[in-house]
Amino acid sequence: MSVLLAAVVGGLFAIGTFLILRRDLVKVVLGVAVLTQGANVYLITMGGIEPGSFDTVPVLATHGDYVPDTADPLVQALVLTAIVISFGTTALALALTYRAYQENETMDVHQWR
Amino acid sequence: MKTTARIVVPIVFVVAISLLLQGHNLPGGGFIGGVLTTGAFALIYVAHGLDYLEVGVLGRDVEPGAGVFEHRTVTAYERAFILGLAIAIGSGFAALLFGEPFLSQTYEIVHDVPIYHEIELATALVFDVGVYLVVVGGLLTILSVVGAE
Amino acid sequence: MAPDLSVITVAVALPFVAAAATPLLHRALGERTGFAGAVVALASFGLLLTQVGERGAVSFVWVPSLDVAARFYVDGWALLFALLASGIGALVFAYSRSYMHGDEHLARYYATLLAFMGSILGVALAADLVLVFLFWELTSVASFVLIGHHTDSDASRYSARMAMVVTVGGGLCLLAGLLVLAVAADPALGERTFDLSAMIASADAMEAALRERGLFVPALALFGVAAGAKSAQVPLHFWLPNAMVAPTPVSAFLHSATMVKVGIYFVGRLRPLLLSPEWTYLFATVGLLTMTVGAVLAVAATDVKQLLAYSTASHLGLMVAAFGFENAYGAEAGSFHLLSHAAFKAALFLVAGIVAHEAGTRHIDSLSGLWRDLPVTAAIAGVTALSMAGIPPFSGFYSKELLFEAAYELAHYDGGLTWVFPVTAVIASVFTVVYSLRFLSIFLGDRPADADPVHRAPALLVAPPAVLALVTAVVSVSPGVAVDAIVQSAVDATAVGDAELHVGLPDHVSPPVVMSAISIGVGAAAYGVGDRLRAGIGAATDRDPLGANWWYDRLLNGAEAASARVSPLIHDGSLRTYVSWSVTAAAALALLGYAATVAGLPPVGRTVPPTMALVLAVAGVAAVSVMVAPSHVAEVLTLSILGFMVAIFYILASAPDLALTQLVVETLVLLIFLLVIEQLPAFYGDIPRGVLARDAAVSLFVGVTVFLTVLLAGREATAEPTAVARYYATEAVPQGGGTNVVNVILVDFRGFDTLGEIVVIAVAAISVLVLIIMRNRGETQ
Repeated sequence: MSVLLAAVVGGLFAIGTFLILRRDLVKVVLGVAVLTQGANVYLITMGGIEPGSFDTVPVLATHGDYVPDTADPLVQALVLTAIVISFGTTALALALTYRAYQENETMDVHQWR
Repeated sequence: MKTTARIVVPIVFVVAISLLLQGHNLPGGGFIGGVLTTGAFALIYVAHGLDYLEVGVLGRDVEPGAGVFEHRTVTAYERAFILGLAIAIGSGFAALLFGEPFLSQTYEIVHDVPIYHEIELATALVFDVGVYLVVVGGLLTILSVVGAE
Repeated sequence: MAPDLSVITVAVALPFVAAAATPLLHRALGERTGFAGAVVALASFGLLLTQVGERGAVSFVWVPSLDVAARFYVDGWALLFALLASGIGALVFAYSRSYMHGDEHLARYYATLLAFMGSILGVALAADLVLVFLFWELTSVASFVLIGHHTDSDASRYSARMAMVVTVGGGLCLLAGLLVLAVAADPALGERTFDLSAMIASADAMEAALRERGLFVPALALFGVAAGAKSAQVPLHFWLPNAMVAPTPVSAFLHSATMVKVGIYFVGRLRPLLLSPEWTYLFATVGLLTMTVGAVLAVAATDVKQLLAYSTASHLGLMVAAFGFENAYGAEAGSFHLLSHAAFKAALFLVAGIVAHEAGTRHIDSLSGLWRDLPVTAAIAGVTALSMAGIPPFSGFYSKELLFEAAYELAHYDGGLTWVFPVTAVIASVFTVVYSLRFLSIFLGDRPADADPVHRAPALLVAPPAVLALVTAVVSVSPGVAVDAIVQSAVDATAVGDAELHVGLPDHVSPPVVMSAISIGVGAAAYGVGDRLRAGIGAATDRDPLGANWWYDRLLNGAEAASARVSPLIHDGSLRTYVSWSVTAAAALALLGYAATVAGLPPVGRTVPPTMALVLAVAGVAAVSVMVAPSHVAEVLTLSILGFMVAIFYILASAPDLALTQLVVETLVLLIFLLVIEQLPAFYGDIPRGVLARDAAVSLFVGVTVFLTVLLAGREATAEPTAVARYYATEAVPQGGGTNVVNVILVDFRGFDTLGEIVVIAVAAISVLVLIIMRNRGETQ
């Protein structure tokens, strides 16, 4: 597996974790978003990355018998739902952030213990 | 901005619906169609504001000062995702009626249809429509409620 | 002939159904629910009675692909235990009707008792190891609820918790042992199975497989701990005397006749499977030790129930030791004593209940001469206590004789240190005679002048122990009847090879007869100096490190103190602390897992295509900018760049569906972030350098872990597609009727998952609605 790919995924996880550890709540939400991207790319790499071509897209050309070696469709199905759900959860997190700010008048995670 | 919206939104809607319908055989499906439709609505909101659908399109009056929950559009979104869940679960139970496990799908190819010559009818489409409605309803509810703040 | 599956299933399920219906029954019947329980127990008893003489396994397959099945195995040993449980259960329910008169929580009491009876029948008849474990733990839970019946009493709660900790802890050892068996079944039986009957059928292959893997002794030790905890063997015996705070019918049923015998039962069950020299050393030693310690402590007891509790531990030790001996006499002694002990000990507990109920005290020293007021009860106590003492011709004598025979046989052949076994057995028997006589003493002699008047016991209280005494008497007078009826088939199931059980009064002098004579003679003599004996034992055992309670308390308090010190460290209410601990732990575990299984880094594969490299590089830069951006708006915009780059990455990675979705979702995320951030102030706290360094370290650790796992676990592009991917791709058209494989997976193959996912979206939408509605209604803090 490519070192660059691994480095980017690792970097996304590291930055996401670092952001989650901040005191500013918006940064925490951003960190979750970055982690999500990292996790999605991670999942895709588990299916194997190869240069794209007509055959590797997991949409079959015909109803016929010939089935080419496509990219792993299972990880794509997983990531597809993950993307949509991550939007739902990010929006929920933002709504929570907004409400928490209205209640507590601060964005500092540490003042909410 | 408003002009752009006027031109783009119908196109996006058509694309979204086509993505939903052809999703079984070409790139697309309930999730993609759903987010794309949501995107079109979002464009309308950004261009015209929340009340536009009520006032400008449907010609209804909006009570000034009423909260976001009195918006009929928001109620419609809520209904959409509830309906979508019902369709998805209902399609699953339909399989039980035929003695198949929950959520089994099947398909039938209909021949001799004008223009298309043959059409494939998959029960999976019903489930996908459920997914579509949930995505559209759920995301739009979130968007309009947060946007109204 | 094979046993009837439906009969067995109904017999086990009936008590559970009745337990569920108990609240309703109690509303309709009130205190007469006890009779309903007795009817249920009798029904199960009757059903099981029809299966006597059957032998074989029946199963009801549940999930065939995972080999999960409700398997029942019926043989003499299982039926003996199940019949005892349901039979004594019926008597205890009838007794409870009168004894528990006026109690507030009758519905709970009867429901738990019924569920307990069902679990016991389940343990006895189940042949699937998972099912055995399930029922085993259910008996522990039921025992916990019943010991803690008086919820407002501290002693009750303390004892219930102690019983729970010990027996459930033993249950965990059982689980581990069962898993070891299942692992060994793989090579021995050719498949990984949880079928106990199949394992016992090929016991030699199982033993060979266990020994080959070095798992034989660990498995033996695990089962030893499990059975020892359940059956109150030294040093885990201490919960049993404490459990005597439970209502007396519970003590009679759970803590003498059935639950504590589950351990014995299982030892008997596994005996043909694991019999070996190690088995003998473990179980004979533990059993005889318990027999002696229990008997000594019983002599020193001052409370009637306490005396019976220690005596129960002692007799359980006798059975464990009997099954420990490798010769046929061992199986005979264990099986026979299971029956005779259940009958006489349950009766004695019920007698103790009558005494406490009518005389108002359980203190042995303040009770005497009860035979005048409670003549029938005294007669019952006479038959059963003499049986307990092992005086000929009562039933306890036969089992003790068989135990002596087994111990003598072993010592005679092996010699050397094994002579300890028969000698210990005799010493324990001496004390048994002493405490049995002491129990009887409360009925003999004259009543103390200042004692309260004793009421005559109602017939309903006397009848159940009378039935048990009758059983004891029948077994005493003609043991052959019991042997022919069921005990012989129980011996067949627990013994290895042929064993013909003969019991009866001895007609010539043999070593066991001499041993019996010594124990009875010395015991009677020692009873004469009973007071001094008790004082001596009391003084010797009244030191803290000797009492098992002391160890239990120290251990528990220590654990509590330790967790009180540790938990504030990782559980301080701050998000940062939680995240740091959990991600560091997860990353460390992942690395450990790889370190344990992967030899070294794989050769670095092909680099990605240049376009993809560029896209990834931009994504990485965008991510860094998110971290260092000076304002919220800048952060959100750079996050968007990251998202769009990932979308392009999806295109390059042959995933058009993902790219489309990602593009639209990214737009929406940007929109919603901007909408919210507009309303929020920027927060710029100073970050202390130490905190920064620590956070950076944690993040780097996580990043490096992920980097390594991607390198190690990522699939090479040149590799063949996985079987799963291949399956979905080829089956999409024939089965799903669609050429978009991803969509077919979503709506067809994995439709249930997708349903769950859209539920998540719906829940998120509802939560946002609720969050805002709550504020609009003014429900703020």
